[in-house]
Amino acid sequence: MSPNSAAPLIENDTPRDAAAKRFAAVGWPGKSVEAFRFTPLDSLADRQILHGTASGNRSTKIIDNAVHIQISGGVYDAASSDDMPAGISLTTLQDDTEAQAALFADLPETHPVANLSFAQMSAGIQLSVSADAADDTTLVLDYADGSETSSAFPVIIVDMAPQTRLRLIENHHSAHGLSAPLVHIRMADKSELHHVRLQDEASHSDFVALSQIQAGANTKLNSFTVSKGAKLARCETHLHMLGEHADMSLSHIYLGADEQLLDITTRLNHAVPNCQSNQLIRGVLDDKARGVFQGMVRVAPDAQKTDGQQMSRALLLSRDAEADAKPELEIYADDVVCSHGATVGELDETHLFYLMSRGIPEAEARALLIEAFLIDGLDQIEDPTLSEFLTDAVRSWATDATAS
Amino acid sequence: MALLEIKDLRASIGDTEILHGINLTINSGEVHAIMGPNGSGKSTLSYVLSGRDGYEVTGGDILLDGESVLEMEADERARAGLFLAFQYPVELPGVSGMSFLRAAVNARLRDAGEEEVDQLAFVKMVRAEAKALGVSDEMLKRAVNVGFSGGEKKRYEILQMALLKPIMAVLDETDSGLDVDALKIVSEGVNALRGPERGMLVITHYQRLLSHIVPDFVHILAGGKIVKSGDKSLALEVEENGYADIANVA
Ligand SMILES: Nc1ncnc2c1ncn2[C@@H]1O[C@H](COP(=O)(O)OP(=O)(O)OP(=O)(O)O)[C@@H](O)[C@H]1O
Ligand SMILES: [Mg+2]
Repeated sequence: MSPNSAAPLIENDTPRDAAAKRFAAVGWPGKSVEAFRFTPLDSLADRQILHGTASGNRSTKIIDNAVHIQISGGVYDAASSDDMPAGISLTTLQDDTEAQAALFADLPETHPVANLSFAQMSAGIQLSVSADAADDTTLVLDYADGSETSSAFPVIIVDMAPQTRLRLIENHHSAHGLSAPLVHIRMADKSELHHVRLQDEASHSDFVALSQIQAGANTKLNSFTVSKGAKLARCETHLHMLGEHADMSLSHIYLGADEQLLDITTRLNHAVPNCQSNQLIRGVLDDKARGVFQGMVRVAPDAQKTDGQQMSRALLLSRDAEADAKPELEIYADDVVCSHGATVGELDETHLFYLMSRGIPEAEARALLIEAFLIDGLDQIEDPTLSEFLTDAVRSWATDATAS
Repeated sequence: MALLEIKDLRASIGDTEILHGINLTINSGEVHAIMGPNGSGKSTLSYVLSGRDGYEVTGGDILLDGESVLEMEADERARAGLFLAFQYPVELPGVSGMSFLRAAVNARLRDAGEEEVDQLAFVKMVRAEAKALGVSDEMLKRAVNVGFSGGEKKRYEILQMALLKPIMAVLDETDSGLDVDALKIVSEGVNALRGPERGMLVITHYQRLLSHIVPDFVHILAGGKIVKSGDKSLALEVEENGYADIANVA
């Protein structure tokens, strides 16, 4: 795609036109852009922008009693989706200029995914959770199908009313050449979100996701991502704590093999006092895979009593694998407890020998140790059903990785 | 019949030869003890027997039940019936004790062409063995060896032996770290496994253990060689006079 550069913004451009122009002006960032130094995206310019079509298939159910929302070929497929339960509404964004304007106002000005996905919007839905919704509602956003020549730009808004509680699963297993989901979550005061995401896209896919979360006062977030598919995958999350006493857990596991490049990028904005954030990042890399973790925590000048913890650990299974970690703390308040740490290591030969000396075959022993390395990550998931879903995904990866 | 034959075994760590030609035959039903000063090569021998990476055999042979194990990986040797109770059992953070024990037992069963045990039956089996060895349910729930006291780790080693029922067990200083009562419990556990079909090699510094697990033969390892062999009275002799005289004899 060639950027038709410098088209001026015109007064009556729609927000989506404006986003398109913003993207066109700069295109995909290369490694000269600091935030993309480890994961340049300029190669994505070769991907054609070609929306897919829904296959009409409904993906197999992953969780009992969940409300299924089918995104197929990058398009919202209402016919293959469940009806929304009481208290939850699903509306499409395509003709909702008000919702579009509101979203646009919250988008970072220069982010390629924000601009391109909003402009393209192959699917656009808003999920509004009202006080009438049941506490134990589970929504599944299932992203499926697509082909190497198709690209997907789903835009999802989740709007949680005060005091609501939701379980949200994002299951990415599509096969697009390029997937660029844009997710925007608004958590009103005292709402509670349990969120898990599995990125298991096809091995030819590029996946660049931007998720934004705006957390109000006394909110609770328990979010966990496992990123293991795709050729290049960047899971970027911007978390804004806008009300006091927000309790946020945002954790990630990445699992890479072959020549995969898996990037986890987080930007946490402690804008107000008394919020707590905890990030745990675990990565396992085999073959020539590369892992990147960039974690920025910003604490605003008056955000006193902030507690921000961040710890990343990578396990390399091969000499050719590489992990980069770039923690960044920007602290403008003085009464805060913030820490970060990053380690890179290998499997311990003594551990391996102990297991093998009990008759456990090497592959199985390695898989046990990989799982053990990841277990304190998975332990962050509070909801048992969601935990089981991701634990299975991790276990099957560990078994595959050690089988060869 | 010879269960374990160690023939003129030479082994090195890196460029340093540690074992300088060891000969030892253990027949089924026999318990042999090895005593010897610190650094004489006892643990090295146990690692060489179990096939640890980095311990290179430079000469001789090791036969388990008549078959050379030199070409076998550690896990194959274990499934062939060799067991090592570690002098320093290894902590495995994040590895659940139960899944570890079950993986070990099932690997053995799979190899023998037998059906794997299901979780429920397995838990029952482990509980029964654990109780006899004074291993608490609470310990069973923890990650392997993590947070165990020195003595608890040793009991956990013997629990593994009881579950795996090896034909040849090497116990490396299983008595160190055990209190008097635990020593008795562990010894009873070991003695329960003594039998005509099994052989044992007990490495220790103390006669005390050998009064519970009475050996048929005692060998003194010094400087990477067996310098003297005898019956259980040799252990008493060591206890009284130390190794100085024996080393002089050699
Ligand atoms: N990884 C290693 N690299 C180099 N030398 C080693 C290594 N491990 C052991 N050694 C050396 O090998 C020799 C024998 O050590 P080993 O641990 O077998 O002794 P041991 O008889 O078991 O002693 P102890 O009674 O203290 O347990 C010692 O001199 C020791 O320093
Ligand atoms: Mg030793």
